Amino acid sequence: MKKLQYVFMTLAVLFCAVPVFAQSGGSAAISLVPIGVGLGMGLAAGLCGLGQGRATASATEALARNPGARAGIMLFLVLGLAFIESLTLFTFVMLLINK
Amino acid sequence: MQAYAITRFFNHLFGPAAAALLHLAGVHPADPAMPISNTYSLELLSFLILLAIFVLVRITLSVESPGAVQHLAEMIHEFSGSHADQIIGHGYERFQAFVTCVFLFVLLNNLIGLLPPFDLTPTSRPAVPLAIALCTFIYYNFYGFKEQGIVGYVKHFMGPVWWLAPLLFPIEVISHCARIMSLTIRLYANMLASDLITLVAFSIFPFLLPVAGLGLHAAVSLIQAYVFMLLAMIYLTGAVSHDEATAEMA
Repeated sequence: MKKLQYVFMTLAVLFCAVPVFAQSGGSAAISLVPIGVGLGMGLAAGLCGLGQGRATASATEALARNPGARAGIMLFLVLGLAFIESLTLFTFVMLLINK
Repeated sequence: MQAYAITRFFNHLFGPAAAALLHLAGVHPADPAMPISNTYSLELLSFLILLAIFVLVRITLSVESPGAVQHLAEMIHEFSGSHADQIIGHGYERFQAFVTCVFLFVLLNNLIGLLPPFDLTPTSRPAVPLAIALCTFIYYNFYGFKEQGIVGYVKHFMGPVWWLAPLLFPIEVISHCARIMSLTIRLYANMLASDLITLVAFSIFPFLLPVAGLGLHAAVSLIQAYVFMLLAMIYLTGAVSHDEATAEMA
């Protein structure tokens, strides 16, 4: 079973690596734009994920302590999430413009 | 882009008038034969749908036997009313019509792209959210001036400490203008992103998988319409309220 697992993992890695072999050797200019787009979007999305996680965690805790305050907590939770999310979306729009 | 049947219909009706109006404003449409674009015709369609619903509700209004449409209207009224009461507080009734209309218009424009004949969400074009954001901006500033007077409202930008006013005034003005940008980009980018996710799902596997993207689009539509309404309310509170504590929140 363990061996089979290793075989499948190796196969998966090999399948992923196929495009590497397909690349021709002497391509002249490498475009850095996709790398930049990926890095930028990844950074923005990851950090916003951290922020949204913190916000949601606090909101859930508050809701567990005081279920009566549900309406107010939900209101500020949704607002806060929208504000945090819009930062990622600003990045997205920037990348879309500068693509 | 292929023109929808509804676009051709609207162009048949209002095409020459719209072309004349655009010419007057100095704008040259991309296709002179069709001055009304798909985006605008979908906006017009959602406007007509909303108008039809409102008229239908008004006609069938009854205390004894409320119909289905009236129940729906009451639900929406209660929803926006409770939020307005919570945020704006006393005297929220004046603003409820505007924020409810913003909510419904944004919601319908977000959702109309999900209907089978249309492959375009009007709010995924930056012009549409920009127009709604500009309306909101003008509306809340108008009420700010009306409630507090010209001097009072301008003083409101200065902050609480007089010697910080030269610093705070430009910052406040810029941040108020940035609200237009943030409202526009939040809605536009959300809708564009969820459209792109659906497209990506189509390109991965064009059977059943895009349904997840469409479901996400529907959920995002609801949330963004809700957020747009909440922000309009919060900006209104900041403009209308006299005490500093609630103005700080915005």
